[in-house]
Amino acid sequence: MSESLAIQMLSIQKIYPDGTVALKGVNFDLRRGEIHGLLGENGAGKSTLTKILSGLLRPTEGKIFIRGKLKNFRNPSDALRSGIGMVHQHFALVPTFSALENILLGQEGSSNLSRLQMSKARARVEEMMRAGGFSVPLDARTESLAVGVQQRVEIIKMLYRSVDVLILDEPTAVLTPVEVHDFFKTLRTLRDAGKSIILITHKLKEILDVTDRVTVLRQGQNAGQIATPEATPEILARMMIGHDVLPSIEKKPTQIGSAIMQVSHLRVKDNLGLHSIEDLSFAVHAGEILGIAGVEGNGQTELVEAITGLRPVEHGEISINEKNIAGQNPRQLYQQGLAHVPEDRRRLGMILEFSLSENSILGVHREKRFHGWLGKILWGKVGSHTWDLIKKFSIVASDVKAPAKSLSGGNQQKLVCAREFDKQPSLVVAAQPTRGLDISATQYIRDQLVHLRDEGKAVLLVSADLEEIFQLSDRIAVMYEGKFMGVAKPEELDRERIGLMMGGVSALAAPVGEAAR
Amino acid sequence: MQECTVNFVGFLSLLWNSAPDLLRLALIAMVPITLTSVGEVFSEKSGIVNIGLEGILLISAFTSLWAAEVTSSPWIGLLAGLGTGALIGWIHGLIAIPLKGDQVISGIGINLFALGFVAFGIMAVWKSAGYHQAPPAARVPALQTPLGDLSPLIPATILIAILTWFLLNKTVLGLRVKAVGENPEATDVAGISVERTRFFAVIYGASLAGLGGAYLSIDWLSTITKELSAGRGFIALANVVFSGLNPLLALLGGFLFGVFDTLALWIDTVSELKPCLPFAFHNFVKMLPYIATLAVVAVAIGHARFPKQSGQPYRRE
Repeated sequence: MSESLAIQMLSIQKIYPDGTVALKGVNFDLRRGEIHGLLGENGAGKSTLTKILSGLLRPTEGKIFIRGKLKNFRNPSDALRSGIGMVHQHFALVPTFSALENILLGQEGSSNLSRLQMSKARARVEEMMRAGGFSVPLDARTESLAVGVQQRVEIIKMLYRSVDVLILDEPTAVLTPVEVHDFFKTLRTLRDAGKSIILITHKLKEILDVTDRVTVLRQGQNAGQIATPEATPEILARMMIGHDVLPSIEKKPTQIGSAIMQVSHLRVKDNLGLHSIEDLSFAVHAGEILGIAGVEGNGQTELVEAITGLRPVEHGEISINEKNIAGQNPRQLYQQGLAHVPEDRRRLGMILEFSLSENSILGVHREKRFHGWLGKILWGKVGSHTWDLIKKFSIVASDVKAPAKSLSGGNQQKLVCAREFDKQPSLVVAAQPTRGLDISATQYIRDQLVHLRDEGKAVLLVSADLEEIFQLSDRIAVMYEGKFMGVAKPEELDRERIGLMMGGVSALAAPVGEAAR
Repeated sequence: MQECTVNFVGFLSLLWNSAPDLLRLALIAMVPITLTSVGEVFSEKSGIVNIGLEGILLISAFTSLWAAEVTSSPWIGLLAGLGTGALIGWIHGLIAIPLKGDQVISGIGINLFALGFVAFGIMAVWKSAGYHQAPPAARVPALQTPLGDLSPLIPATILIAILTWFLLNKTVLGLRVKAVGENPEATDVAGISVERTRFFAVIYGASLAGLGGAYLSIDWLSTITKELSAGRGFIALANVVFSGLNPLLALLGGFLFGVFDTLALWIDTVSELKPCLPFAFHNFVKMLPYIATLAVVAVAIGHARFPKQSGQPYRRE
């Protein structure tokens, strides 16, 4: 193995205990003193690969060479000893500790019983910060620091452990644009000081800005490697998305009917008590799919929860078929004609330990057709109802008494959709309906959503997947910090404009065109 | 029937006159609660809650008396109590750490096991139902002090509380113990074994409870009964809440609970007070430690800040 490489990973395979194949034989190499971008969509295997490299996960198969030597990491400290440190998306910091204590943790001294040598450590950390050209307050409680500062604490922590290889998992997700600029400067300083850096991201711009080489992953496989100067956004996008683009969905021309749901001046608080939705008004009509795009965490979750009765409405109105439904509970909403495919199907969509039969009547279990004398549930009838759903939605399942967790993710989601769509709703709210699903299940669910629209239902689709938004929506709204940056027809938008709007830049020439009714 | 001659001022002067006596009694009563709660503070800092303290007190009281009697050495008795605590702590750790079981259930298990085991053990070893007196050779010898005869475990308890505070706040080990309680993942990533650190903490904590149990049977009360621990393990849990997981405050709390614990004894010993108090008033006073426990928990629990991962097993991924 070449010794000029800091790291070489050969045919890495990872199958999780639940059977998910995350990596199907990935190769990766990192030179000394480079910033190496690791690019890929959600679920491409970037995180899994780097978790294996940092010792958090063990590969099912494959070899890892560090500076030419074969290594087998059993835990993160093994990786640290080999000079590999990872800064996770969720920081590995103890919130009640000071920055200095966090930096020190695990590197405190020779034995457990030795006294903490805080002043010595402080001198070393301050020296490192001077050399690296960045600083953090060392004595403040970590939880009181801004995320950008916490991230720097993490990086200093790794440098304090004298790592040569720094892995950064989506580091810019928590930073403001100005912070990103400074952060990249820090990365370049570190590289020039001889460190190798792996930068995980799905943002093309960052790859082009700061990296020297890029490896692209797609669905757990290598999709290409390229030196950054030779790369263009188009080349990278093609590698990232690949050729198995979903076949386009046939959509009849819209016959938009009357407004089924009307939201006016809606105000909703998030879990921290801040207003995550502020004065939002829009309508969804019969026979249309309104797609809400946007970076996650801009109020989409709170909006869906408010509409589906899971979160109190602070102010404003939500009406379905001209009846104000704000404050009603999910059961009442179901009677008003609402169906909900929730964002987190494993938590809100189903009870994993329950059988398919039980899951197939969750929420509709009060219906008379399932009940016998004294309200006894007629499991025979429920079973045949479940079989009907299984057939109608081509769910792969062997037994209606099997627990829902025995199904694959795609089939679980199909079961949730089957139950919800079977409610004969007039409004369907679908949040991230195809997240994490394979292509055929994705395709199937998208077809079903279009089918509902063709039947004249109103569909509200919330998705972080732009492909999905463009493919399905009759109108697209882009959400940013609890507001719509604009509403437009798909043909009036391109990826660049929508990207700008997702970043908070209003990019519509005629901001609210015909589509904004 | 005597007339009551003590007014409020008189009561205060009585209290003042017997202050040295009260102090001595409180110091004596302080030991088991303080040892147990200081140990539990250490354990809870690491994220392992052990509500089986009551059971550990009781079982260790039994094993230490047995060992002390068989060897005629109270020191071996103390070691046996310490070791019994360590063993039970290890079992609790085994359930809570690698097996990722529910810590509350495990703790309840320890308490229930203790009830049966000690009742049976007394019967099996001494052939007496529920009661055995420690022979003089098995008792920890007292120190001569200005306050009177005192157990060497009293200064030891104070030292242990200070030592535990020092361990938690001034040593590498303490930083690690606190880190595994707050964010085990971060600690794991930092290259520290979460399992080993938690095991150490839970065994350390349970050992101190074991020492407290030994003190009950071969020192203070010089006896073993199947109710010997009398809820002190639970009072210790309340004291842990009161202390806000600070060993020095746990020492102070232990002393205060010790005062309440001895008030009933004291009232019984003051003959002037007898006619002033309603019938069986000392039984009412005996409730004081428990009422104080409830009050402290009710007031303090809102302010106490426990580790984020308290009671939670750590799973990688």
